[in-house]
Amino acid sequence: MADIKFNEANQKKFEQLLKRYPQKRAAMLPTLWLAQEQYGWLSPEVMTYVGGLLEVPPSKVYEVATFYTMFHLQPVGKYHFQVCRTLSCQLRGAEGITAQLKKRFGIGIGQTSEDGRFTLTEVECLGSCGTAPMLQLNDDYHEDLTEAKLDQLIESLE
Amino acid sequence: MPKLTIDGKEIEVADGTTVFEAARQADISIPHFCYHPKLSIAGNCRMCLVDIEKMPKPAISCNTVANEGMVVNTKTEKVKELQKSVLEFILINHPIDCPVCDQAGECKLQEFYMDYTMTDSEFHEEKVKKPKKVDLGPNVMLDDERCILCSRCIRFCDEITHTSELCFSERGDRSTLTTFPGKQLDNKYSLNTVDICPVGALTSKPFRFQKRVWFLKHVPSVCSGCATGCNIYMDYDDGKVWRYRTRDNESVNQCWTCDAGRLSYPLHNEKRVTRPMVRKNGVLEYSTISDALGEIARALSSLGGDEAVLVGSAQESNENNMALKKFGQTCQIKDLQYSAKPKDDADADNFLIKADKNPNRAGVQHLGYQEFHGGIGVKVVLALEGFSETHLSQLREEGPVAFILLATHLGPETELADVVLPAATFGEQEGSFTNFQNRVQKFEAALIPQGMVLPAWKWLEKIAQELKQPLQLSAEALLQEGFGLKFADLGTEGKILESKN
Ligand code: SF4
Ligand code: SF4
Ligand code: FES
Ligand code: FES
Repeated sequence: MADIKFNEANQKKFEQLLKRYPQKRAAMLPTLWLAQEQYGWLSPEVMTYVGGLLEVPPSKVYEVATFYTMFHLQPVGKYHFQVCRTLSCQLRGAEGITAQLKKRFGIGIGQTSEDGRFTLTEVECLGSCGTAPMLQLNDDYHEDLTEAKLDQLIESLE
Repeated sequence: MPKLTIDGKEIEVADGTTVFEAARQADISIPHFCYHPKLSIAGNCRMCLVDIEKMPKPAISCNTVANEGMVVNTKTEKVKELQKSVLEFILINHPIDCPVCDQAGECKLQEFYMDYTMTDSEFHEEKVKKPKKVDLGPNVMLDDERCILCSRCIRFCDEITHTSELCFSERGDRSTLTTFPGKQLDNKYSLNTVDICPVGALTSKPFRFQKRVWFLKHVPSVCSGCATGCNIYMDYDDGKVWRYRTRDNESVNQCWTCDAGRLSYPLHNEKRVTRPMVRKNGVLEYSTISDALGEIARALSSLGGDEAVLVGSAQESNENNMALKKFGQTCQIKDLQYSAKPKDDADADNFLIKADKNPNRAGVQHLGYQEFHGGIGVKVVLALEGFSETHLSQLREEGPVAFILLATHLGPETELADVVLPAATFGEQEGSFTNFQNRVQKFEAALIPQGMVLPAWKWLEKIAQELKQPLQLSAEALLQEGFGLKFADLGTEGKILESKN
């Protein structure tokens, strides 16, 4: 693996971040977030790098990274489908959405398609219950889903 | 200096003392899992909840500072109810596999359940399953299901060894004790985590599934692994030592020991010399006691005092070295040297592990022994365990030397000896070592010597008898004569020697 290091832009952001906190380790969450943005996931090497920056042992970075489900400890596909599985979405058909994605990509929950393009996970309420069922694709919400709408969405992807 | 009342007892404590420690000072014990006197306060187990009058909610005593006028209750119905609930909560996902758990019999969870709950669980759902055999490191195995997430082991690695190998991953009922991916719990003190784990989650690989702890008997003893002389309990049964456990001594090892020392116990059980041996026509053979003693007498009686050298040992006790010195006085042998294991500077730190791998160098030096330097014209060597091949070849460069060894173990040295007498280890006799602080520390006998094994001082008595010299010894008298101390003076903490000048 190439040298793990923030690119220039992220390095600047990181330095700004540090100024916001009384202690370096307090910047853990946003720093991990930056690292995940740059590398797509948090490999052991990346967590070790972050530990070095914040002057904490790698094990303490690992604790935080595994505590929050939004940090990826495995590589995720180019398209990451995060289907909400909490009550409102469940009542409005989230299970069907998940099943459709499973079938379409031939993967289970928490898995990535063989070509490395699609990842499927289930997440808890994304605060969009009024437009259930919904999912988050990478950083964007897709709401009021139906089978047809989901098909359309998938077709639109490169 | 706040004054407070705990269970009706009024006590005064130093500023900043917690309610938990105040109770301890008043001899009131409060059940606890995560609190440990040598570690930072985590306050995560809630087992130490107490009721403090005028406080709106029950408080965890381990993290509540004692204040003037506080009225604390630790044994009321209300507190009992709290303790019950906390235990029920902790037990939700606990596998309760006590019948196959090594900790059973010395498990805090088991004990507190018996003391505070004794009711059936109301949890009828399925328990979370977790891996039962996680290889954490060279000496430690984890049963994840049994972990109650007290974080003692994590804090030990953060605060005592500063190695920070351990952490919790995930959260809620998925929380798991683990290491960073690809890393191991691999430090020189890792087995202390097994000691402080209140349950059977962390187990010692060498002790795992070896013995039910309620069969073990123990005596206070001292580790022989290095000059620190960590205080231990020697746990024994069936004529065998099964493990060492750390014993508290604030001035020596606090409540810790290193892994290497702790795992050195097989020395009492393995590769032992159990019968006398005599070299006949070049071959070392088993012999009777009287043949062996006769052989030794023959070798010694034909000599002038300066043709023999007595080699004590930094591996042997104060008493056995003193016995050898007395033997020299009786038989007019003046050359007293001592053997010692070589220093290992690579295996030393600023905590407990010393480069000097001998438990009793200070003791032999106190008795006036010189470190081994050989000699010219030596015809006979009488040595305690610890005398090495290199020492012998150094002496034999000058000519043939009869070699008499009071050996605990079979090894290259016994191969070279002319007469070998089977000597007891420090687990088989009462005695003492003097550590690097000049602290004389007592050990007691756990095992009865097997076969023809005897403590070295008893063999020396017999050799003297064979030589028709009067020599009457006892461990107590040897300690008294050599060090001006009685076993009773040593207590549980040992006694520092007054400097000689
Ligand atoms: S393994 Fe033992 S010491 Fe470590 S957190 Fe779990 S219960 Fe506590
Ligand atoms: S530090 Fe020395 S005395 Fe203590 S346990 Fe280790 S080897 Fe034994
Ligand atoms: S339940 Fe799905 S967004 Fe709230
Ligand atoms: S001992 Fe106080 S909370 Fe664990």
